[in-house]
Amino acid sequence: MKLKEGIKETNVVVKSGADMVLPFAVVFGLYVILFGTVSPGGGFQGGVMVASACILIYLGYGYKATTTVINREVLEVNEALGAIIYVLLATCGLFLGVRFCQNVFYDIGNVGDLISAGTVTFMSFAVGYKVLTGVGFLLLLMLYLLGDGDEEEEVDEE
Amino acid sequence: MKRFIALFSVLVLLAAGVTAMRYDYENVAITYDGSDTKVENLYNDPYKYNTSDPDGVADIIVKTNLEKTMAANNVAAIVFDYRGFDTIGESFILLAAIAGSFAILRTAKRKEDDHKDEA
Repeated sequence: MKLKEGIKETNVVVKSGADMVLPFAVVFGLYVILFGTVSPGGGFQGGVMVASACILIYLGYGYKATTTVINREVLEVNEALGAIIYVLLATCGLFLGVRFCQNVFYDIGNVGDLISAGTVTFMSFAVGYKVLTGVGFLLLLMLYLLGDGDEEEEVDEE
Repeated sequence: MKRFIALFSVLVLLAAGVTAMRYDYENVAITYDGSDTKVENLYNDPYKYNTSDPDGVADIIVKTNLEKTMAANNVAAIVFDYRGFDTIGESFILLAAIAGSFAILRTAKRKEDDHKDEA
């Protein structure tokens, strides 16, 4: 795999481990978000699982690579977007004359289908997206304090 | 004047709350009063206690969940439908926590940098 400019490889064992685990972590986290209303799981849990990809990238490639691949400001904006989508979906019930947060549009499939549960499914997706971006942002923020040393060391070497 | 308006709105809220409680007590049927739970049997022999027929809110949710939400996972139905308002609060707590830690950590970083410049 060709690396972008300025990305320094760390220990080979750690890097291979991160490479191997990263796809499984992301795919399984997305699976938990998508099938939250059918099988055990849900938005919160799956979101945190996907966000752990930040830590794996940091372990494998260092702080600079993490900030090159993931844009922190985009994550911050998308978190608010997820919250807004959740509130809008919850308000759907009020427009149709039932409770706030009540499930509507649920007559669109058989029990056990992916989107058979109406707004519950989409609210789960929205919360998953929100937690994914929010916890990812929080982890990047914590790595920001750790990552300072790496950058200065590199500058000194140059 | 400001203080009077604040006191007045608090009193209105209190009156509305008391009225709603009264209305619920008089008109809404009680879902669970604890009479079906035999505490003595449960205490004496927990393994032989009959759990096949739940009562109260659990009974209502388990029996009517599929008609009301079509969600195969009861927990997801509770989190996003029955207790959807609670989930809104949870996600906004996360938002507030992240905004707060961003503000604090950014300031800490800046102070650290200033200190390094001086040294």
